[in-house]
Amino acid sequence: MPKCQYVDPGKAFDAGYIHFEDIPVCQYKKTLAEEKKIYTKDDFMRIYRDMAIIREFETMLNEVKVKSNYNGVEYNNPGPAHLSIGQEASAVGEAYCLDINDFSFGSHRSHGEILAKGLSSIHKLTDEEVYDIMKEFLGGTVLAVVEKQMKSENIKDLAINFLLYGALAEIFARQTGFNRGLGGSMHAFFIPFGLMPNNAIVGASAPIALGAALYKRSNHKPGIVISNCGDGATGRGPVLEALNFASMDQITKLWGMEGKFEDGGMPILFNVFNNHYGMGGQTRGETMGYDMVARLGAGFNPQQMHAERVNGYDPLAVIDAVSRKKALLLEGKGPALLDVVTYRVSGHSPSDSSTYRTAEEIEAWKNADPIVAFRKKLVKGKIATEEEFAQLHEQITARMTEIMKLAINDEISPRMDLNKEPEAISSIMFSNQKVKSMDPTREPDVLMPKEECPRVKEIKGKVRTATDASGKPVSKMKMYNITDGLFEPIIDKFYEDPTLIAYGEDNRDWGGAFGVYKKMTEAIPYHRFFNAPISESAIVGSAVGYAMCGGRAIVELMYADFIGCAGDEIFNQMAKWQAMSAGILKMPIVLRVSVGSKYGAQHSQDWTALCAHIPGLKVVFPSTPTDAKGLMTSALEGTDPVVFFESQRVYGFGEQFVKDGVPEGHFEIPFGEPDVKKEGKDVTILTIGAVLYRAMDAAKELEEKYGISAEVIDSRSVVPFNYEKVIESVKKTGKILIVGDACERNSVMRDMASNITEMCFDYLDGPAVVVGSRNWITPAFELEKSFFPQPSWIIDALHEKIMPIPGYVPTTNFTDIEKVERAKKGL
Amino acid sequence: MATLVIMPRQGQSVESCVITAFNKKVGDTVEKGEVLFSYETDKSSFDEPAPESGKILAIFREEGDDVPCLENVLVIGAEGEDISAFVPAAEAAPAEAAPAPVAEAAPATTPTAPVAEATATAAVGGMSISPRARMLAEKTNADLLKAVPTGPNGRIIERDVQKLLDQGFTVSAAAKDGYTAAVEGTGINGKVMLGDLNAAPATEAAPAAPVVAGPEYEDVKMPNIRKIIAKQMCASLNGMAQLTFNSSFDATKILALRKSLKAGAEKMGLANITINDIILYAVSRVILNHKGLNAHCLDDTMRYFNTVNLGIAVDTERGLMVPTVFHAEKMSLNEISKAAKSVISEAQAGKINPDLLKGATFTISNLGSLGIESFTPIVNPPQTGILGVDCVTYRVKEVNGEFVNYPAMGLSLTVDHRVLDGADAARFLKDIGFALENIDLLMAK
Repeated sequence: MPKCQYVDPGKAFDAGYIHFEDIPVCQYKKTLAEEKKIYTKDDFMRIYRDMAIIREFETMLNEVKVKSNYNGVEYNNPGPAHLSIGQEASAVGEAYCLDINDFSFGSHRSHGEILAKGLSSIHKLTDEEVYDIMKEFLGGTVLAVVEKQMKSENIKDLAINFLLYGALAEIFARQTGFNRGLGGSMHAFFIPFGLMPNNAIVGASAPIALGAALYKRSNHKPGIVISNCGDGATGRGPVLEALNFASMDQITKLWGMEGKFEDGGMPILFNVFNNHYGMGGQTRGETMGYDMVARLGAGFNPQQMHAERVNGYDPLAVIDAVSRKKALLLEGKGPALLDVVTYRVSGHSPSDSSTYRTAEEIEAWKNADPIVAFRKKLVKGKIATEEEFAQLHEQITARMTEIMKLAINDEISPRMDLNKEPEAISSIMFSNQKVKSMDPTREPDVLMPKEECPRVKEIKGKVRTATDASGKPVSKMKMYNITDGLFEPIIDKFYEDPTLIAYGEDNRDWGGAFGVYKKMTEAIPYHRFFNAPISESAIVGSAVGYAMCGGRAIVELMYADFIGCAGDEIFNQMAKWQAMSAGILKMPIVLRVSVGSKYGAQHSQDWTALCAHIPGLKVVFPSTPTDAKGLMTSALEGTDPVVFFESQRVYGFGEQFVKDGVPEGHFEIPFGEPDVKKEGKDVTILTIGAVLYRAMDAAKELEEKYGISAEVIDSRSVVPFNYEKVIESVKKTGKILIVGDACERNSVMRDMASNITEMCFDYLDGPAVVVGSRNWITPAFELEKSFFPQPSWIIDALHEKIMPIPGYVPTTNFTDIEKVERAKKGL
Repeated sequence: MATLVIMPRQGQSVESCVITAFNKKVGDTVEKGEVLFSYETDKSSFDEPAPESGKILAIFREEGDDVPCLENVLVIGAEGEDISAFVPAAEAAPAEAAPAPVAEAAPATTPTAPVAEATATAAVGGMSISPRARMLAEKTNADLLKAVPTGPNGRIIERDVQKLLDQGFTVSAAAKDGYTAAVEGTGINGKVMLGDLNAAPATEAAPAAPVVAGPEYEDVKMPNIRKIIAKQMCASLNGMAQLTFNSSFDATKILALRKSLKAGAEKMGLANITINDIILYAVSRVILNHKGLNAHCLDDTMRYFNTVNLGIAVDTERGLMVPTVFHAEKMSLNEISKAAKSVISEAQAGKINPDLLKGATFTISNLGSLGIESFTPIVNPPQTGILGVDCVTYRVKEVNGEFVNYPAMGLSLTVDHRVLDGADAARFLKDIGFALENIDLLMAK
């Protein structure tokens, strides 16, 4: 809601019509004679060769799947193989137009795209460039295999062997694959050629590719981004969110900041390989209503995304279309959409018995085979003879056979040996690096010196403790609170790392729904700090793509409850790409999520457990200004994805625990270290999140009324977590309660209780007891005291489960009988 | 009908006893009242007389065995009687069913099952107890059978064990030694698991260092009671800040009193009241004004007693024992004398009820008769003080410008400086000295 754009009631109701332009459908009509003016014989032959290589590569995979034998070589591949036989012309046509600065993202069916763009890149790079790339990649381990084991005619020939071997070894889960066998068939990629990760989740690449385009746009990088997917993926929310996010008005209307920064739209081409089926569901005629994918463009912006439908069985038609779209994008007129009509002759996977289509249909498309058609065209046009093609096919088959033999040789292409190297995967789950700036060569784009930022000035005048020297509470206006603790490291990083961007719903003018970014608008330009559409998948997914390209992002989901809206992006994308890339990719993302209260069932949930369950995510939950600042600083210095939980109950709280107040300047708190907020000797209370303050109240009551001295430990982090301090405390007290605002069942509290019981069993004087919220919906604010843990619940649990307190009368029921009954009812 | 002889229970707190010697072997004939075997608890030792005359038909135990109270030891009867009903369930056969050689070959073999049962762990198998409480009990030998559970669902928790310790309820250390030495733990870090106890091999059967039977010295295994004394003495010195104060008082009047009591004892029907009895009497009257000395120090709590239970250090053949005269403050001098004589003679005979060997609130140790002029007695925790009584020496004092000699009796008071200061000790010594110098006045009170 920028103030510069006036919403005028005088114009909002003006009468008129929305006009659409015609969307071209298969309008390519050039003759071979015309094309000969553009392409040399070499070009034609290379287009043919690349299609033939892809066809042979996938034929080999199909033979292995179906017969466990290719050209006399036996092998059994238990892994997946989603083939694209029939779609080669579309892939090669697209790749023909791209260079290594153009990033392409694909799907589970992307072998063809990898090989096409790889072959195209090899052709366009010089011998030196391509050799250097191969030598540098994974320490030259992939290159070493092909250099040693295969005879190559020249560097380009070597590079083709390298590409085919690296991709196949990856598909066969070999350590010499492009991602050490950890990505596999559906996720193979090779960044040095601009081949970005492919994705086994249908449609998941769209928001990620959007993030890559955002990276190029916000960091003024050359090249465009291609988001490839099938027509089936266009039914997915994240794809539609990405189409909209890429088209949003602000990119051209506001981001230029009146000429201060480079103008232009999002440099992304959404390319749909429209093979008519989403697995077996027929998109046109059954599962979608758009008739043609290209129609989608008209729904997203007045330029209709420059949408076009193209004949994907003709490589020259595809090249014609993609090269025109690329030119548009480079002119700043993105985004664009292509509907490339093609057909998958092979099944969805080798187990596909084609129950959803007729044999006649398949036969008809086989007869229209794009490779055969292109060969006939070239022979007819006297560009090459059938003999030349026969010779080419012979070479390709021989090469493929040799590559396959290498890739299945357990000595040359071993699998990762987790017995010999048990930590091999552990060591890549997190990158654990500290990087001040992701791009130290550039100065950050800002609008004023940091000191002049109104918020920085405001914080300067604040008191950094909750009480003043005489013990009186500092007034809310003057008190440095948790939002300030979050803001300080973020603004510092904006001025330190030019790649840092922050976005989410209502981040800019509103200052974030809870004021963390208040008064930052004046200092940071739009292209680094903007309001995202209400598109959680696109928000998180784009951050993943942004980080893959080498940037650092802070994205925000206004409420933790919206994690579900970005489930795949958080749990499958953000969490997994570092390890799936064998440590090649870094994922410096801070995902801020806010735990609400007062707002009922869908706006009050602590979902730390969901995030902690997924390997690959770091999860923290500070509850004091000092911890917020220290942990945010660490999160922004790191290279790992962090889900940063905040609590709306305590944003306005000042520092109550650190006597000298929140430290000034750069201040880090390492992840994983819990903090003893109050020492005690009789019972330990371990807290997760804002419940800390209720635990402190309980500790006070225990001390004053019952002479029981409680030690209160704030976990601060959930993943990673260092249990040592907790163990030490339990050894002292013998009693522990784990308290948090999450629903008690399957919570982080339960996990910690179980671990503590294992590790401290002999020291425990009673079970490790969890005090969490009821397994209900969160009721209205007025009823919350019956739902969220209260100080009295903590004392009740101690009294009923661990150590009865003489004279104490509990108000809640923590007994085993009650627990059994609740569990029976699923409560 | 054969007669079973079991291990008697000596006092409420006794779980098991160690057999120190068998006077008879299988096949011997015994007369009713003849001593069958001797045994000891950690505090006292006893002889077991034959309940009937007859032949020893079977002995189920060996010397050194720690036998749980009320379990079978041996059987007396007529030749050829069936004794199978008396064989302890856990034993395949009596250890000494046949004469000597087998038993001699493996003298240290311990029947493992009874030992396991005697341990604190096994004894509380049916109880609910927190791991922490169990660990504390094992470390401190707390007697869990006496625990009052205050945790949820009747669980014994740490504070319950702490209470046992405060009350002095510990389990027989002999029983504990039985398994800690012989059992090899199979748990993590060598932790002894319950299964280890049951499966414990007789590791002691393996040859130990060869015994050199040279004439120059004799290796005598320390009796249990000596081990206990050793442990307690060290624990006492390690556990508190002990400080001894020496003073003396003019014993003229108590010596005179003793003389007249001796002379008139028969006539008045009094006991043979000794100097020591007079000192016990004086302490029982004076100490209530010095509550810090008639007290127990329990970790962070002081327990001040309103009664005076006087421990009397007694030299016995087996070593130091400290029987108690309860409620001395309510007794006359004659009653104190009688009570003291009774417990002292029982202790010396090794037949004292173990329950009389604890519960003292203050202790008196008299070495005066052995000519000791001053010493540093060791406090018996959790008590806070012990009064040593020394011999009489003659000193001079100035009376009306002339030096006269007088009998001076020494007092050596050791206190726990953690809870009492020097002045507290000095004030008590001053008061007790005054009371003894003016015993006539005290008795008139």
